[in-house]
Amino acid sequence: MKENAKILIGDDSILARKQLKDVVTRYIKNPVFIEATNGKEALEKYKQEQPDLTFLDIVMPVRDGILATIEITKQYKDARIVIVSSVGTKNQLRAAIEAGALDFVQKPVRDDLMEQILEKYLGDD
Amino acid sequence: MYAQFFGSYLLSKNAVTPQQLTEAISHLSDSHIRVGTLAMHKGYMTAKEVDEVCFLQTREDKHFGQIALERNYLFEDQLNELLKSQSPDYLLLGQNLVDMGALTNSQLETLLVGYQNDNKIDESTSNDDIPEKTTNLVKNFFYQAGKQVSENLITYMDLLFNNLVRFIGGDFTPLTPVFTSEYDTNYAITQRLTGVLPIHTCIDMESEAAVEFASRYAQMKFDRFDEYVKASLEDFLNLHNGLFSVNMSNTYSTEAELAPPEYIDHESIQLSEDAFVVPVIYPFGTVYLILSPDKS
Repeated sequence: MKENAKILIGDDSILARKQLKDVVTRYIKNPVFIEATNGKEALEKYKQEQPDLTFLDIVMPVRDGILATIEITKQYKDARIVIVSSVGTKNQLRAAIEAGALDFVQKPVRDDLMEQILEKYLGDD
Repeated sequence: MYAQFFGSYLLSKNAVTPQQLTEAISHLSDSHIRVGTLAMHKGYMTAKEVDEVCFLQTREDKHFGQIALERNYLFEDQLNELLKSQSPDYLLLGQNLVDMGALTNSQLETLLVGYQNDNKIDESTSNDDIPEKTTNLVKNFFYQAGKQVSENLITYMDLLFNNLVRFIGGDFTPLTPVFTSEYDTNYAITQRLTGVLPIHTCIDMESEAAVEFASRYAQMKFDRFDEYVKASLEDFLNLHNGLFSVNMSNTYSTEAELAPPEYIDHESIQLSEDAFVVPVIYPFGTVYLILSPDKS
């Protein structure tokens, strides 16, 4: 998989960010992590860094993950955004996909699922 | 959950002290054999299948047996056989208390009958792993406290107790709910729900209890109250409320919307007139569950 991949993680929970980083590090060599604690910050960091892959939680203060996805994909058509959330209702899933997210992963994140996601979006062609 | 509420019943009858109960309940997991373990022992399921079902339980509010059936890992008659060979947890709890000398056998007998009658428990419904809802226990828990609580709120509390068992551990005893309009927090996480059940939810505890609660939840060893401990508490409440929303969405196609969890410490919070606090005793300290329904 792509080495030194730039990965943006938007989640207000420091624990969730750590857990996600731990899983990603198991599959990707030398990843560069960019962290945001709300949707607004995620958009700002996205503009600055233009990451290879973005993970966003839904329930976040200031601006939620769905809104952030809409704003990011409006400006960056090829943005690769994966929603990671504990609220996996059908409506949320639909909202995420309509907003422009490519995938939806339910928390707690399972290792083999994350490997599939990383392979899919950061795999060697 | 039958054991946890039996503990609560014992305390309400002053049959044992909280210390005796905490000790007896902390040995419960030593004596309880889970369905998954029995299934492996019988050769009905592989370890990988058991692990998968346990993982799926973190996604859905379903019993081990239900998921194993859905995935065709067990046949129904196999599951029934396994469930029959399990002893109900509340009997094991009673036995532990007798072994400790906290109760005599004849005292236990009387208390068991009282508990079974109060909760309309019979032989076939006293196993947590039977896909028979534990809702009635929760309903009766509030009824005994003299308070009418809405159906959705009962469903909510039932899931909350089940999630405590799943993510923190079953070695707890819920105490009688206290109805109050004000609450002084220690270290607390609050989260507001709107939609199907408009309510302010809150978990609160002392810092030492929070460290242990977080360690169990995140399965990491924390040794002081820091950002990670705070985040673990937030995660637990957010995950629980998320599961509630998923359940409501699946059952009634109506959802609960979640606001981000918030952290507060040592603040006095004003509650609605139907609000209540359920103290839950764990060996590491007391966890307070504070629920304040908003006027709809």
